[in-house]
Amino acid sequence: MLKLVLRGIRANLGRLFMTLISVVLGVSAVSGSFILADSLRAVFNGISEDAFAGVDAQVRALEPELSSSDLTVLRFDDDLIDEISELDGVNYAEGGLFAFEQVYSIDSDGEIVRPQGPPVFTASWGGDSPVSSFTLLEGSAPTGQQVALDKAQTDSGGFELGQMVTLSLPSGEPGQFELSGIIDFGEGGTGGAYFILFDLPTVQSILGAEGEVDSIVVNADGGLASEALLDSIATLLPEGLEVVSGEAVIDESQEDFGSFISVFGNILLGFAGVILFVSTFIIRNTFAILVGQRTKQLGLLRSIGASAGQIRRMVLSEAVVIGLLASALGLVGGLGIASLLKLLFSQGGGGFPEGPTEIRIRTIVVVLLVGLGVTVGSALLPAMRAAKVSPLEAIRDGGKTGRTNKFRLIAGAAVLLPGLALLFTGMFGSVDSLSLRLTCLGLGAALTFIGVAMLSGLFAGIVSYKIGAPAEQVSGITGRLGRENAARNPERTAATASALMIGLALITGVSVLAASLLRSFDALLEDSITADLFIFEENQGLPFSPVLIEQLDALPETDLVAGYTTVRALVAGEQETFTAFNTEVGDQVVSFNVVEGIAAIGEDAVAVSEPEAELRGLSIGDSVAIEMEDGFQTDLTVEGIFEENGVIDSDWIMSIDFAEPHANIAGIDYAGMTYAEGVSPEAGRAAVDGLLRAFPQLSSQDNSDFKETFTSQINSLQLLVNGLLALCLIIAFFGIVNTMALSVLERTREIGLMRAVGMTRDQLKRTIRWEAIIVSLFGSFLGVALGLLLGWAGVIAIPDNVISKIGIPWVQLAVFLIGGGVLGVIAAFFPAARAAKMNVLDAIASD
Amino acid sequence: MTMTPPAPPSANSQRIAAARAQNAVKIYGSGDTEVTALRNVSVDFEAGKFTAIMGPSGSGKSTLMHCMAGLDRLSSGEAFVGTTPLSSLNDKQLTMMRREQVGFIFQSFNLVPTLNVRENVTLPMDLGKGGLDDAWIDEVIRTVGLADRVAHRPNELSGGQQQRVAVARALASRPDIVFGDEPTGNLDSKTSSDILSFMQRAVRELGQTIVMVTHDPRSASYSDRVLFLADGEIVHEMQNPTTELVYDTIKSLGD
Ligand SMILES: Nc1ncnc2c1ncn2[C@@H]1O[C@H](COP(=O)(O)OP(=O)(O)OP(=O)(O)O)[C@@H](O)[C@H]1O
Ligand SMILES: [Mg+2]
Repeated sequence: MLKLVLRGIRANLGRLFMTLISVVLGVSAVSGSFILADSLRAVFNGISEDAFAGVDAQVRALEPELSSSDLTVLRFDDDLIDEISELDGVNYAEGGLFAFEQVYSIDSDGEIVRPQGPPVFTASWGGDSPVSSFTLLEGSAPTGQQVALDKAQTDSGGFELGQMVTLSLPSGEPGQFELSGIIDFGEGGTGGAYFILFDLPTVQSILGAEGEVDSIVVNADGGLASEALLDSIATLLPEGLEVVSGEAVIDESQEDFGSFISVFGNILLGFAGVILFVSTFIIRNTFAILVGQRTKQLGLLRSIGASAGQIRRMVLSEAVVIGLLASALGLVGGLGIASLLKLLFSQGGGGFPEGPTEIRIRTIVVVLLVGLGVTVGSALLPAMRAAKVSPLEAIRDGGKTGRTNKFRLIAGAAVLLPGLALLFTGMFGSVDSLSLRLTCLGLGAALTFIGVAMLSGLFAGIVSYKIGAPAEQVSGITGRLGRENAARNPERTAATASALMIGLALITGVSVLAASLLRSFDALLEDSITADLFIFEENQGLPFSPVLIEQLDALPETDLVAGYTTVRALVAGEQETFTAFNTEVGDQVVSFNVVEGIAAIGEDAVAVSEPEAELRGLSIGDSVAIEMEDGFQTDLTVEGIFEENGVIDSDWIMSIDFAEPHANIAGIDYAGMTYAEGVSPEAGRAAVDGLLRAFPQLSSQDNSDFKETFTSQINSLQLLVNGLLALCLIIAFFGIVNTMALSVLERTREIGLMRAVGMTRDQLKRTIRWEAIIVSLFGSFLGVALGLLLGWAGVIAIPDNVISKIGIPWVQLAVFLIGGGVLGVIAAFFPAARAAKMNVLDAIASD
Repeated sequence: MTMTPPAPPSANSQRIAAARAQNAVKIYGSGDTEVTALRNVSVDFEAGKFTAIMGPSGSGKSTLMHCMAGLDRLSSGEAFVGTTPLSSLNDKQLTMMRREQVGFIFQSFNLVPTLNVRENVTLPMDLGKGGLDDAWIDEVIRTVGLADRVAHRPNELSGGQQQRVAVARALASRPDIVFGDEPTGNLDSKTSSDILSFMQRAVRELGQTIVMVTHDPRSASYSDRVLFLADGEIVHEMQNPTTELVYDTIKSLGD
């Protein structure tokens, strides 16, 4: 039996090769995701261990339940450092202060020096010590008016040891610091981030945190903090502070990195899953065709005494061999993908951590399971069909044992209807959580794909015949033959087209979402933005110093200036997010469509969104109980009720002047302003940009810049996502090549005959090309139609403050359709060339 | 056994040979596996005549047909269709020639399954650029008795009907010559004689030229002339054959 299996594989090697490629692609994507995530995790774990080497205990503020900023860590009095140092068993204690994207170095051209992607950290450094996370490469630790920078930053800024380096500071006044040292983070590099280090008093004054630290790290005598030491530190701590062991710190930071990497890895796995899903269709189709073509041979085996079970096992064993081979190749492919991505990242982010490539046993097991599972699973149906081949079919000519249309209709509907139901649940159902809605959409989409793929066999014949009409008009008999061939085996056409359908449906869906996002954003700009100019940090929307707001306000060119930030507070005991700004400007900078009351609410007032007001039964003049982050409690009056709005995306608004003393605000998220009367946009902008020179991380944007930035962001996101989805198209492409090649082989005699009665090689190629084009177009039409459905579903399911309007990218849709046709042309190339090479007489004489 | 002396060739046929072979040699393979399928065959196929080719299995009949019809190339010597030497034609020109000047009927699997009867008949012309002579095509289809089946696909036809479509296709483009390799080999004798008498009429009444390979003396009797091949050589030739004469000749050649 094994001999037969191997022989079967060898005889069909060419045909199985394409199948193998599609499984390998899918499996590679899976193993690549795992390998990359594992390698990253290993590298970052190493970094954490480096960073906290020598740290046996850490004192820090307890995370408050209510926090306006996820970026800032609460600070506390630095007197504790000395108290802790004097404890028995403490070898060394150092206070630290740390900030994120606050200070930047400026090169000699006045340009900000910052990596693309990774952040810039500002931190205190006490020099070489048992707890130091940094190693000095050159020079000495900074003291006073000195700074230490990492190597990458030094190189990129063209700085030299001992020179004065200009730093942009949160105060808005640049400072000059002597470059005293060049450092590295731990031993393993900074992972792309830049570091700007000062001694503690200098950081304190730069960050406006005199006498404060955000952590104290402790090195214990003997290298390990005993429970007793932790306890004795704990007794020193005031309320709100805690002490944790060094191991706990390392564990936490590894967990933090780990969860970030897991998210990243899961996204990759998601794509891998989609690719596998598409491969499954191709594999199933190939096995189905192979079984169909071997019906005679299988019948012969049956007539000489092979049992149905043996036949089934034979086909499945072929799948097992293919699956094993694909898994092995997929593992190698995964290594390739992982290294490729690592390379891409390190080129994009300037310095990706070096580290070993981790192939865990888990990865190997998963890859084996996936490769085998997908292949054998796909071969299951064809194998059952093969087992049903009767001995008689060896004698009868190519007997067809297809399922009845009725069966297919019922089975297809049984999958499609729940799929659509799930889609509609995600769109219109009373599902509150967005992620649940999107899960409904995802599952619904997968079922819809399968259902449509099953049902499309029912109409593939008629539809592809209709699609092919122009082919016959354009190129006569070759078009006619191509059209007939595309329509002659509807089930095969449908199965072949389904991979393309899924790929294009996903791509179309993403494009519709992107177009809708852009349209919604346009509408938002029109409706809500009255400001002439906005200021924010473009990379990650990081908060910036409120000092800038005052400076902007002082400019004669500006009229109204508003700085917006986020504050969290309890409203009647429930945590709510507030947009806080200098509310005296009302809605003249960002409009929020006040429907009742006023926009320019006072310091002791709030504005609330219509739905929230309804929910809480609030109306103008009511008072609400507010508890702020610092525990401050008061009643504020509802002075305004506004419509929901995409710029101010919170349900509550309060005055920043009220919030500031009671909330730990990291800074201003964005600022908007209007120009004074008579100030031209150019003049206004020039004045503002002059100020911004001291805040090199910020950029100013007016509505048209906004639109441009947003458009380009959406476009590049769309490009990235669709680029990954394009892998599905590659698989679909192989599927078409494979089916066409198999069909050509199957029709050898017919091809010989047509050549004998006067068909030229070119005409033969054209015939095959037309067939491939028609099959591809069938898939493309279905795909684009399903993509529109998915896009629409997404637009409905995603809340209105993100996407409010549906946009249909007609040009892109046309490109997708045409692209589908072109894909067919290219896919036909190899099968057509092969058909054209056939010797006429051999072809006729073939069985 | 005395051989029937070949009848003097008519003046007509001397002038126009629809196709001819001159010292045709076909060798398959090389070295140990070398097989000489045709050795130095020279033969004229007169225009307007129905020629049958007979001979034992492996004698080179199919090979001769294929080389004459431009489906294969000779190893040496020359095959002419009309006055065109086939060795001078490239693949594309050979294809054109097959399309326009030659008709071919295979023993089976003659039809494109996705095309209906009429489309199969017009296939060679549809492949070319010229227009169709609809009246003529209708007549051909009517003559083979398939006027009421024009819209049917091959799988809806019997084996005999399929062969008739093949004959119609071979004749429809009014080729210079039609070759048939055992065109009735798979058919029962009734169906077979229907088709043969149609071919005979096509020659007598429509002036077609047909060359046909057959194993059956009765089939050969429909022709005007029978060539006997053995071991890649023409060993005998007979004009105006009857079943008995052919049968006797085969027997005598076999001895
Ligand atoms: N493609 C080929 N390769 C090698 N030898 C071949 C090939 N085709 C034919 N032959 C050989 O050439 C010789 C003549 O074959 P051909 O097919 O012309 O015989 P035939 O007279 O048509 O026989 P039959 O009556 O059985 O059809 C045979 O010995 C055959 O084996
Ligand atoms: Mg033969």
